Amino acid sequence: MRGAWRWLREHAVNIVAALVVVYMLIPIAVILVFSFNDPAGKYNFTWVGFTLSHWGNAFGIPELNSALLTSLKLALLATLVSTAIGTLMALALVRHQFHGRRAANLLIVVPMATPEIVMGASLLSFFIILGAPGLGFQTLLIAHVMFCISFVVVVVRSRLIGFDRNLEEAARDLGANSFETFRLVTLPLIMPGILGGALLAFALSIDDFVISNFNSGTTVTFPLYIYGAAQRGIPVEVNVIAMILFGVTVLAMGFTVWQQRRAEKLSEARPEQEAALPIPAGAAEAA
Amino acid sequence: MAERRRIVPYFLLGPGTVWLLLFFVVPLFYMGYLSLESGIVGSLSFSWNWGNYSDALSLYDTQFLRSFLYSGLATLICLLVSYPLAYTIAFRAGRWRNALLFAVVAPFFTTYLIRTLAWETILSDQSPAVDALRLIGLVPADGHVLATGSAVIAGLVYNFLPFMILPIYASLEQIDQRLIEAAKDLYASSRAAFWRVTLPLSAPGIVAGTLLTFIPASGDYVNAQFLGSAGNQMIGNVIQSLYKTQLDYPAAAALSFVLMAIIMAVVLIYIRFAGSEALMGEDKL
Amino acid sequence: MGSSGGATSRTGRLIGAMRQKRARALALALGVAALALGLAACGSGGGGSGGTVELEGEPSGKLTISNWPLYIDPGKEGTVKEFEKATGIDVKYIEDVNDNAEFFGKMQPLLEQGESGGRSVFVVTDWMAKKMHDLGYLQNLDKEGIPNVEKNLVSSLRNPGFDPNRDFSVPWQSGMGGVIVRTDLAPEVRSVCDLFDPKYKGKVDFLSELRETVPLVMTCEGVNPEEATEEDWMNSIEKIKGAVESGQIRRFTGNDYARDLTSGDAVAVIGWSGDAVQLQADNPNIEWRMPTEGCSLWSDNMVIPVGAPNPTAAEAWMNYVYQPQAAAKIAEYVNYVTPVEGVKQIFEKTEPELAESELIFPSAEFTAKCFTQAQLSEEEEQPVTRAWNAVLNG
Repeated sequence: MRGAWRWLREHAVNIVAALVVVYMLIPIAVILVFSFNDPAGKYNFTWVGFTLSHWGNAFGIPELNSALLTSLKLALLATLVSTAIGTLMALALVRHQFHGRRAANLLIVVPMATPEIVMGASLLSFFIILGAPGLGFQTLLIAHVMFCISFVVVVVRSRLIGFDRNLEEAARDLGANSFETFRLVTLPLIMPGILGGALLAFALSIDDFVISNFNSGTTVTFPLYIYGAAQRGIPVEVNVIAMILFGVTVLAMGFTVWQQRRAEKLSEARPEQEAALPIPAGAAEAA
Repeated sequence: MAERRRIVPYFLLGPGTVWLLLFFVVPLFYMGYLSLESGIVGSLSFSWNWGNYSDALSLYDTQFLRSFLYSGLATLICLLVSYPLAYTIAFRAGRWRNALLFAVVAPFFTTYLIRTLAWETILSDQSPAVDALRLIGLVPADGHVLATGSAVIAGLVYNFLPFMILPIYASLEQIDQRLIEAAKDLYASSRAAFWRVTLPLSAPGIVAGTLLTFIPASGDYVNAQFLGSAGNQMIGNVIQSLYKTQLDYPAAAALSFVLMAIIMAVVLIYIRFAGSEALMGEDKL
Repeated sequence: MGSSGGATSRTGRLIGAMRQKRARALALALGVAALALGLAACGSGGGGSGGTVELEGEPSGKLTISNWPLYIDPGKEGTVKEFEKATGIDVKYIEDVNDNAEFFGKMQPLLEQGESGGRSVFVVTDWMAKKMHDLGYLQNLDKEGIPNVEKNLVSSLRNPGFDPNRDFSVPWQSGMGGVIVRTDLAPEVRSVCDLFDPKYKGKVDFLSELRETVPLVMTCEGVNPEEATEEDWMNSIEKIKGAVESGQIRRFTGNDYARDLTSGDAVAVIGWSGDAVQLQADNPNIEWRMPTEGCSLWSDNMVIPVGAPNPTAAEAWMNYVYQPQAAAKIAEYVNYVTPVEGVKQIFEKTEPELAESELIFPSAEFTAKCFTQAQLSEEEEQPVTRAWNAVLNG
């Protein structure tokens, strides 16, 4: 009995952690299960029967499709713009000393610390008082870029901080000018950070509900479609699409991790290769 | 050469600063302008109507208190639930570290709304989950979980878990293991080593996590709308109702400012108390 | 950088720098504020009376329609597609009307400018149609473009109080607000007043729509909603407030009472007739009941806003859906009260159970006690809405 108690105490933390992971996955399981439901009417609340028909018809509802497309378009554009802007800002903040650095830092942190409802409401006030052209895709885009910038800056910045500037100096010593150095040395090396920021921006934009709810006018994004549908009965296809999005992101993340592992393995192999030049490359890699 | 160096940062900062100023800072001024108007949509007029602010505080004090109660409790529960998981991922996960980090983040790639609606199904009166809770006695035999404050808090906890787990994990991961070994060498038990070395060193992560959870949770309205009832509405619901159905933009704007002011006050007190400068991003080159 | 001078000059420089910084920050803040106020001054203006639709020849081109979600038969064989085939008009059908007030809030800045955001038709409930009309946001219809409406509109909807000659509105669907019950869990509920029975504590949902719920509760006190005073509204709101505080009312919902009813979390709700028919498909124990004191009757109406592009096509759409065949197709899916004469006859041949349904074809006796949606006067609107929202938001 004592042994069991001790085992429990030792592994208590792990057990709690496992329970938490299960807890986090329960709603996903529910969403998945109900994507196979076969309700007779409009409402998908109670389990009726199993069917794959909604998976086969995932893109069969035109309003859902257009909402999804709008969301994807919006997220893509917002990601491009905010990643570009955010990366530039991160570069400035990490690499240069200048007046107003503190203020710039503040400007970046405060939006992250503002509740979404305040940001959404203030943007609404802004667009309302401005009047034309009115709420719609453009206002959504503006709002999305705005709240994504800060997150991109934070991610890229953390990557830049760990960056070895000696590599840039080495490039310059070898005759490259600033622009070439940036393009051929800096950019590729901070690319993972930039991609990380871009991924985060994309995720934030595609899932945004509160700010979009206030500033979309009559444009319908995917979360807004669901909000409207929640009143009248969410079609099963919504669950299907949510699972597809989930699956795609899991695959994407899996891919990036796999790439990372590969890159690590390759960089491990390289020093051995250099140290053992006479030996054929193939044997060294196998070592 | 030095001249060019000095303007480069401003060029780099330029677009971002302009965007944030124009679409974050200026709208706040507009909201201020709006908060001093009177009337509703279709008949707004500027009139230095400070009454909106006193109304905000007097009419909606219950909702304010309730919001901070819910978000405070949610933050606390989040912390208690997240720390063990973050700890496991940082120290005990080994090969599974990335997979676990996935498991933490991936659920949040399903839409916020769908996740919350899934909880509606999970916490429904006849669901196995609630039946189990009734069995344990946490819920009275004829009681329900949905449409109560507990359901709202549960929803808040769930939706903000990654915001708590990831910062704590990040700061735990950076702890030099040798410090813990040193403590053990000095005859500290595992528990003492944790309380006196690990926990304090993870403080920046805890501070960041609690702020990243508390602040958005205070302004949330989705959870209260779907999981709560009329008596569980938070200040976010009031603001949304004022904007969307009552079309009383001045009152809504005033409420938003009051919310933001209270949050900032709480955050400042908290930071001063917790003393974390790491939060403001003072980069060391 | 060498350190010239002593500590005092350095402090002096620091203070100077701080002052400079603060001054600059202040200037920046003032500048931004000035910019904001300056822009605010050139805000929106305009508005104007609605005017009448001007028809131009054969309907063609593009048409954008805004409607409530799930209010039309969808898909490749749906009414929209059939209309496109029949007329060659390219239709963009958006389902973005989720709530009358919310839709009004979204559209108001545009309508104020005489714009409609590209929409030619939208569908709003009676009281909102009236409100928009009174503000000059709607165009009057040219009856020449909608002969089918003239011919087929059911007599009970021809002269509503808010638009006696149907100058600016054409009903899309009509419906009844009453109680929906789980016959297996709460078989004795037959009126709105029964919903206050403590036996059902925590298992009752009310509608969040002010103009549905409060008039129905008024009938419990014997008040006729069509003649209600502000005091009557406030009294009923007080009664509902008491029910919230005691935990009697589980929550206020839009159409999402459907979830609670299906799962059994609620045993009786205030709800709309069309939803009940759909819910029965999932659970035969769900039934809409005509409250003993009477139900509320309302319509959602098609209206043409100011600034509508292609009003000719808009009227063509209205005309099209007033053909009994087209209306029958819609009614079959939507299950609300169709405003088009002749649909019942079609159903008698194709869908006999639907033809029998009192919910889709209510007889005059069925709706004898029902009242049309109560109107709030302009002075009443603000305080009543405020009081109601105070209850909704706890």
